[in-house]
Amino acid sequence: MTTTQFLISGWTWNAADVLLAVASLVVYVTLFGVHRRIGYFAAALGVFLLTQLSPLNTLADGYLFSAHMAQHILLLLIVPALLLLSLPRSVSLAVRPRPLGQPFLGWSAGVGAMWFWHMPAFCNAAVSSRPIHALQTASLLVLGCLFWRQILAPSEQERLSPPGAVIYLFSACVACSVLGIVLTLSPVAVCSIYTMPAQDPFGMLRTIREGWGLTPDRDQQIGGLLMWVPMCLIYLSAIFAQIGRWFAEPAEPAAVKLS
Amino acid sequence: MSDLTTALARAGLLTVEQRQHWRMAWLSTVDHKRIGILYMVTALAFFVLGGVEALLIRLQLAVPNNTLLHPDTYNMLFTMHGTTMIFLVAMPALFGIANYIVPMQIGGRDMAFPRLNAFGFWLVPFGGILLHFSYLAGGAPAVGWFAYAPLSETPYASQLGVDYWVLALLVLGIGSVGTSINLIVTVLTQRAPNMTLRRLPLFSWMIFVNSFLVILALPVLNAGLVMLLIDRQLSTNFFLPPGGGSAIMWQHIFWAFGHPEVYIVAIPAFGILSEVIPVFSRKPIFGYEFVAGSTVAIAFLSLLVWAHHMFTVGLGRTVDLFFVASSMLIAIPTGVKVLNWSATMVGGRLRMTTPMLFCVAALVQFLCGGVTGISHAIAALDWQTKNSYYLVAHFHFVFVGLIVFAILGAIHYWFPKMSGRMLSERIGKWTFWLMTIGFNLTFIIQHFLGLAGMPRRVYTYPVLPGWAWMNMASTVGAFFMAAAGLLLVWNLAVSLVRGKPAGDNPWNAWTLEWASTSPPPHENFHELPPLRSRRPLWDAANPDRPDPMVGTKWKAETFVPEKNKASVITFIISEVGFFGVLILAYLYYNATPRPGPSAHDLDLFKTGIFSLCLFASSFTIWRSETNLEKGHHRPMIAWLAATILLGGVFIVGQGLEYWHLLQSGVSVSSNLFATTFFTLTGFHGLHVCVGLVALLIVLGFAVARDFKQNHSASLYAVGLYWHFVDAVWVFVLSVVYILPHFR
Repeated sequence: MTTTQFLISGWTWNAADVLLAVASLVVYVTLFGVHRRIGYFAAALGVFLLTQLSPLNTLADGYLFSAHMAQHILLLLIVPALLLLSLPRSVSLAVRPRPLGQPFLGWSAGVGAMWFWHMPAFCNAAVSSRPIHALQTASLLVLGCLFWRQILAPSEQERLSPPGAVIYLFSACVACSVLGIVLTLSPVAVCSIYTMPAQDPFGMLRTIREGWGLTPDRDQQIGGLLMWVPMCLIYLSAIFAQIGRWFAEPAEPAAVKLS
Repeated sequence: MSDLTTALARAGLLTVEQRQHWRMAWLSTVDHKRIGILYMVTALAFFVLGGVEALLIRLQLAVPNNTLLHPDTYNMLFTMHGTTMIFLVAMPALFGIANYIVPMQIGGRDMAFPRLNAFGFWLVPFGGILLHFSYLAGGAPAVGWFAYAPLSETPYASQLGVDYWVLALLVLGIGSVGTSINLIVTVLTQRAPNMTLRRLPLFSWMIFVNSFLVILALPVLNAGLVMLLIDRQLSTNFFLPPGGGSAIMWQHIFWAFGHPEVYIVAIPAFGILSEVIPVFSRKPIFGYEFVAGSTVAIAFLSLLVWAHHMFTVGLGRTVDLFFVASSMLIAIPTGVKVLNWSATMVGGRLRMTTPMLFCVAALVQFLCGGVTGISHAIAALDWQTKNSYYLVAHFHFVFVGLIVFAILGAIHYWFPKMSGRMLSERIGKWTFWLMTIGFNLTFIIQHFLGLAGMPRRVYTYPVLPGWAWMNMASTVGAFFMAAAGLLLVWNLAVSLVRGKPAGDNPWNAWTLEWASTSPPPHENFHELPPLRSRRPLWDAANPDRPDPMVGTKWKAETFVPEKNKASVITFIISEVGFFGVLILAYLYYNATPRPGPSAHDLDLFKTGIFSLCLFASSFTIWRSETNLEKGHHRPMIAWLAATILLGGVFIVGQGLEYWHLLQSGVSVSSNLFATTFFTLTGFHGLHVCVGLVALLIVLGFAVARDFKQNHSASLYAVGLYWHFVDAVWVFVLSVVYILPHFR
């Protein structure tokens, strides 16, 4: 199968995902009406469906570790962030009991999701078993929301202060970059199931290996590099936004008397 | 009078004359201003040394087929020149300026830890002497400033030069981390009331951000250095491919430090530009928020993109591609910063004094260095120009064109504050023009030499079209710079004695250091002007049109942590980098099984029991702290003693394990498993021992009942460190002992 054919026929129809998306849209509209932030929600659903139905999912499903990584990043960092951004300001995401709302737990959720699903056993299991794969997808979305809640919670009081948020994001980025560096430089295959795909339903393996030049080594390298570099740029954008939030302040009238 | 002297002597105190004697006033000083000056004088001395080395290099290259220097000598000279200029000139000079200026800009009395400050400074001459002692001990290192393995390994560099190089860099690295911790804690805890983080002058802000970069990047180098030293001294194979090691790993470690290092010296230079340019343009900086914020972004990005130094290594096109893209990104915040400084000058009433001239030249030259930097970010172009004089020209445009020029600007700008006397403007202008003409003559032409194919680090070259006159011109330029250096020293010396009195604020500047007398009194300030914006002295001088107030809407910006705790937390951050590299190295070198001893020779059961002791000690020290809070003195001491006992048991357990391994013939050089095992657990053990010593000292204070006011914070600080040591062991235990059982 050539690349073009694959891009056309690589789409999969997953009724559960589509139903989920439609149902959540209905819930959103019922709860908040057609709010002006609905664009974020639509974007979140769009990215989610893209990761589940598009050829990216087909590639991630046994062919390419790097495609899996792209999917992983979108599900953990992009979709939850868009979801939180879509909530109106009035929504409270306060967690009870209070200790569960600690920044450290949110941080661990985001970083832990990265490390846990890239331990060789779990990484392989998530590809070979459908239920575990579904569990992985769901856990990434939930953990991603827990991670971003500290930064993007709709109500200002539930967010970290900007300097704290910068440290939060920076350290999360370093913790994930380290994993990316490990994956990039590792002399052994981390997610070995991708080196020898058990089946080749689309007849794509030859195109991937020879046409695209993606050997298993290089594939893992790209996966690691995706985590090392572009993923950090997501954190960096968030850091920039936080610095902007810190310095943003309506200038007070200069006429204030000096004390 | 003599009664007083004897009374003071009996009490162990010094008389005024003794205090003012230079030995007491300078050699044992803990005053941040004097330490700052000591830093700068030391940097100046090494600048002369590094400059002489550079002149010898240029003399050798002035004509083709020159025989002035022996090839080996030439190799030593360029290695020592690079190492000296970066570690003994740029960093100490910037630390010196930061030391002097930051506490004054934030309205503080001194650094947070004056004695740590003195320690950090004295490590600089110590490291410098250690490095230069190698000349006497069989020859200086001749392996380039980045000491690529395997050239830097014993088979190829059997002299002691590289060992001295490693030791010197370790000493300097430890000093830099100490000073940076001190600077971070100073900015956090020594600020005047109302000097919120968002009101910090840009120089102080940038030093603050930069210090985080130092504590994150330097430990990575330190980890690499100890690995290299272990290779050389204990015949192991970290970076020797024949023994299973990886020479590329050294490059990764070195550049993971080396790239941020560029920013470690560049960001303070940005800070200097951000102070000087507004003052001499008579306008506030254009876009304070962006300049401050983008510094964070630049620091952050710089930690991630080191692999662009390795395009020619053969990492593969995939890797190159990612680092081409991410390296280009750095150009965006940096480029916008240049626009910020330029926009500050637009429409300003420019006063082209010497400091301003140096800073404007730095801005222009940095732009040139930045553009050639972007050309290096393109891998395909980099393959052609790497290791040519084009690269030499590029990084000298950054290091000299930006950083040295900014430092010279800073010296001319702050000298009146430090000495109370003005530098001669006439000699200053001469210095500037000689320096600018010399610098550009030396290095612009090297771009073309590089494009014509002249490789760097060759001790001579044949007669080729154009090479001879270009090299000669470059050498002439170098002597212009030397003349400028001499003029600078002359200007400093003469003005110190005969300069015009400066007054408190000769430049009409706006930051707090100018609110004090010149030179400032020992305690820096008698009183501070009201602080409500970023330019307090402008507000004071123009009460009818003050700057808009910078509010205090965030709690975090007025937050002042306890300084001992803050210092230990920053120290722990730096240690995470060190252990991170060692743990990653362990994982990397043990990814595939090797012949010889392996993790299965370790006794997980026994180690598990001793580990429980260590983990239990985290609990006992927590109990000790809670008892201190409640004021229960005896239980506090008992729990503290239990902690020390448990820590001691763990160390004995580790000793037993080492003993058994050594008995069964497993030594550090057996294979890479043994090497990485002993390195990782050994350094952890060392940290446990340091922790034990610290705990014993605290116990001593506690038993001596010296605890009520003075030292209770030290228990919390040492406690934090102790928890960290235990946390590291969680990782070491899982990676070294438990992980192999799952394979």
